[in-house]
Amino acid sequence: MLNFARFVATRAVFAMLTLVIVSLVVFSLMEFVPGDCAERYLAFKNTQGSGISVADIEAERVRLGLDRPFLERWSKWIVNAFQGEFGESCILRVNIAQLMGDKFWISLGLCLASLALAYAIALPVGIIAAASQNAVLNNSLRLFSYLGLALPNFLLALMIMLFSTVYFGDTLTGLFSAEYRDADWSWGRMKDLLSNAWLPIFILGWSATAFALQTVRALMSDEIGKLYVTAASARGVHGRRLLWNYPARHALGPIINSLGFDLNRIFNELPIVALILTLTEAGALLIEALARSNDQQLAGAIIFLLTASIVSLNFLTDVMLAVLDPRVRKSIVR
Amino acid sequence: MTALLDVENLTLQFRTDEGLITAVDNVSFSLDKSEVMGLVGESGSGKSVTAKALMHLNARNAVYSPESKITLHTETGPVDVLSLKTPKELNIVRGGAVSMIFQEPMASFAPAISIGNQMVEQLQLHGDYTKEQAKRWSIEMLDRVGISDAGKRFNQYAFELSGGMRQRAMIAMALSTQPKLLIADEPTTALDVTIQAQVIDLMKDLVSEFQMGIVFITHDLGVVAQTADKVNVMYLGRMIETGPVRDVIRQPKHPYTQGLIAALPKLDDIDAPLTPVPGDIPSPLERPSGCVFHTRCRQVVGDVCKQVDPKDRDLDGSHRVACHIYTEEMA
Repeated sequence: MLNFARFVATRAVFAMLTLVIVSLVVFSLMEFVPGDCAERYLAFKNTQGSGISVADIEAERVRLGLDRPFLERWSKWIVNAFQGEFGESCILRVNIAQLMGDKFWISLGLCLASLALAYAIALPVGIIAAASQNAVLNNSLRLFSYLGLALPNFLLALMIMLFSTVYFGDTLTGLFSAEYRDADWSWGRMKDLLSNAWLPIFILGWSATAFALQTVRALMSDEIGKLYVTAASARGVHGRRLLWNYPARHALGPIINSLGFDLNRIFNELPIVALILTLTEAGALLIEALARSNDQQLAGAIIFLLTASIVSLNFLTDVMLAVLDPRVRKSIVR
Repeated sequence: MTALLDVENLTLQFRTDEGLITAVDNVSFSLDKSEVMGLVGESGSGKSVTAKALMHLNARNAVYSPESKITLHTETGPVDVLSLKTPKELNIVRGGAVSMIFQEPMASFAPAISIGNQMVEQLQLHGDYTKEQAKRWSIEMLDRVGISDAGKRFNQYAFELSGGMRQRAMIAMALSTQPKLLIADEPTTALDVTIQAQVIDLMKDLVSEFQMGIVFITHDLGVVAQTADKVNVMYLGRMIETGPVRDVIRQPKHPYTQGLIAALPKLDDIDAPLTPVPGDIPSPLERPSGCVFHTRCRQVVGDVCKQVDPKDRDLDGSHRVACHIYTEEMA
């Protein structure tokens, strides 16, 4: 037990280290973008008609602390970042934490919910499909999987919206009803969010489910063919006990391992879906910051938060894996 | 000697996309209590499929011919193995009265379940054990097969044991339910030669102690000579020669058996060239007509080999061979 605690602690330290390294990469990338916040701000002013000089830019640089050495600025940034404080947006000139508000957490929540939905369906269905020799079941699952993988999310979103608009007169867009959009968090707002969130969760979960189903089924088919399963049935283990304790349990490891990757994939799909459903979420903000306005402060903040989520999830899956699989547990815990 | 197992006219085909593939063709043999039978053949000869049939363990696409019959004689009377359907009925041939040891002890333990838990699970499926009793008995069995520190090993996983240890643990697990018949599918092939000898000795000891019958599957005639009382040689699903182990190994009758014995490396003459049986075992999709071995046989006696399936011929009471050479002599 003590060993296990030590294992968890080491993993946590490693996760933090990963985050620090990631922050260095993110921060360096922010630096590599030509032009800094001071220039960008003043260039913006320039377009408004007021002339600027090199001295103005220098003064702005000093004000923003951009004249300090790289390491100093990075360490300041990272210390603040761990406290959820990311400074000001270069373009919009407002505090990033305020600008994002709950957007990042809502985005993360949507992604995690889609991931949970995907595996809640894919695990039982994939396991049963792999174990069953039923051709009809297997073929219809294959068809669903191909549909899920081939049908782009945005198309599905558009189809559902079209259908809903034509038949129910409701476009199903947005995450909040008008009266709750800018309200403070309350039960009513929470309920309102949930009543709207099912659609993006379903749409994001759709392809994730198809993907997860394929993974689970392939892993299960692999495990079912292994000798230890034959050996167990030769000992009289049968039925559900055989299926869940033997192949299913052993297929779980690689599935858990891929969760972090899955989350990342879902997050990448979120902006397009969000755009169509006019959701206010962080993915769209990231694209805006990266591609349109070159707002490196904002982009850096979102990328850092996203990486932090994935690193945390990976930390969790590592611990889960160690609990489930003695080979992992015994190889690290010594 | 009392009968333990009767296999009569066992014919087994697999339904595949390419059609029916014959894996076992009209095989009959019997086994007495405390008797060790070697089942010898190359890979693809149908020996493992035959062994799995004894536990009704072949894949779902297996088709048994209606004449096939496997009878296991237990204390509660004869059991018609192939008529068993439900898991409850099958319990007796799966870990109850029949146990199986596999070639790769590493792969036959579930990697993420401790050895002890797998043993206890089996015991509780086949007997009236409490968890505590099952654990005590499992540790005793591990101790019995020569595993030191059995109490500690009980809680360990297959990957923490050495190869020989794993096979001992497998044997302990297989014997823990005190089966009447033990099927050992190449149990020593994956082991070092020195460990092989230990495991074989252990199995011999346990046979006499538990009064079990053993079906010992191997491609290694040397191992058969050490362990078995009688031997069946299989080729492409046919049993081509059978008899007491001394007779078959000293005076092999079938050209294939002769070839197998000639192919054994000789330690006393290391310069002698190896003489393998020429050719490869044909694909089961292209089963040769007539005698299945004629495509590789050096002693073909004529067209009869290509056209007529040789009958099983009794040479001297217990030594039987299916080959036209001997049919010709008799005729």
